[in-house]
Amino acid sequence: MIQACRRLFVTVFIVLFIVPVLKASEQKAEEEGAPINVVGTVSNHHELEYPGGHLALPRIFLVNGKWYFYGSTESAIESGKFTESEGALAPADGSKITLDMSITSHLIYVWLSVIITLIITFVMVGRYKRGEGRKTEPRGWFQNMFESVFIFIRDDIAKNNIPEDEYRKFVPYLFSVFVVISFMNLFSLVPWGATATADITVTATLAGITFFITQWNGSKDHWNHVFWFPGVPGWIHIVLTPIEIIGLFTKPFALAVRLFANMLSGKIMIICIIGLIFVFAEIFGVVAGWITSVFAIPLTVALFVLKAFVSLLQAYIFTLLSAVFIGMASEEHEHEETIEAHA
Amino acid sequence: MGLLGAGIGAGIAAIGAGIGIGMIGKGATESIARQPEASDDIRGAMILTAALIEGVALFGVIACILIVFGVGQ
Repeated sequence: MIQACRRLFVTVFIVLFIVPVLKASEQKAEEEGAPINVVGTVSNHHELEYPGGHLALPRIFLVNGKWYFYGSTESAIESGKFTESEGALAPADGSKITLDMSITSHLIYVWLSVIITLIITFVMVGRYKRGEGRKTEPRGWFQNMFESVFIFIRDDIAKNNIPEDEYRKFVPYLFSVFVVISFMNLFSLVPWGATATADITVTATLAGITFFITQWNGSKDHWNHVFWFPGVPGWIHIVLTPIEIIGLFTKPFALAVRLFANMLSGKIMIICIIGLIFVFAEIFGVVAGWITSVFAIPLTVALFVLKAFVSLLQAYIFTLLSAVFIGMASEEHEHEETIEAHA
Repeated sequence: MGLLGAGIGAGIAAIGAGIGIGMIGKGATESIARQPEASDDIRGAMILTAALIEGVALFGVIACILIVFGVGQ
């Protein structure tokens, strides 16, 4: 009986998640005139949606060395200094915006994830400092979960991929990046939530941090391999050195694109399948729309479940690859061995 | 025409990634069957390699998205 209730509850919960997606795509469709607007739904917005409305976010501009602050897009237009052209704001006098520091919905979700991670970590640090978990068993489901995630990052990701003597200093970065990305990905499942990681700027920043850490901790061997690959004839260096230098940059690029494309494609898939209802309703009439929804809604439920899994998997992969890259760069190898290995 | 190119490109990227990840899956399941005690290590290596292949496939997808949205026209 309890199990049946629980199953029902989960089903209702998941269906509830779909309602905002339905509503959002319907609204956008009404505004645009097309049956469905995929790009508008996944892109970055200057407003934060919540159940029953949306909150306008501040717009901050730097134009010709002067800062402009507005509470929302509307107040920026009302002030007369900015006009709307092609969906973006531009200064009314025809000059160009030097820097657009407006706070967007994706940024809000990044901040939210970071703050939640900070709170969780500090609460847990307080507990461990008091001795709970060190002298006694970890207490409560929350501390147990925290500890198992932390140990997983430390032992399975950091220790296995980064040299034994220096893996400890990378554990904080790897742990925080894992938790923050997990939160950002999982916020996309929440009704009215935005996927911060479906934005290339967010993932590129994260990959940039990994790139910086990797190069900063690069050992002598790492740079030796980049600029003068050991154990090959001299003229090969002309080919090999540019390839190695490009290779430095493709790694973080792949890291950024992988996370971005996975989260974006998941979102687009769901919107497209939901959108089928409206497309069919417009072409064949309302009845066809209802019939399509019988197939589309369960499929979306399945996709949501898959997305929940992919969210955590992608966070894991990002962390794992960061650890692998850091490990590859900070490794010192015996030189004789290296020559043999590459010969 | 650009949309057609994007569609074909996405298909080809999916074929390549499908073959690659399929071969990883084949190798992993075979080696787990031979050595079940090493399955944890094999699973980790499998996810890592699959992620690398997926990254290459997603480059293709990104190129297709750029074509569809008309970036660079």
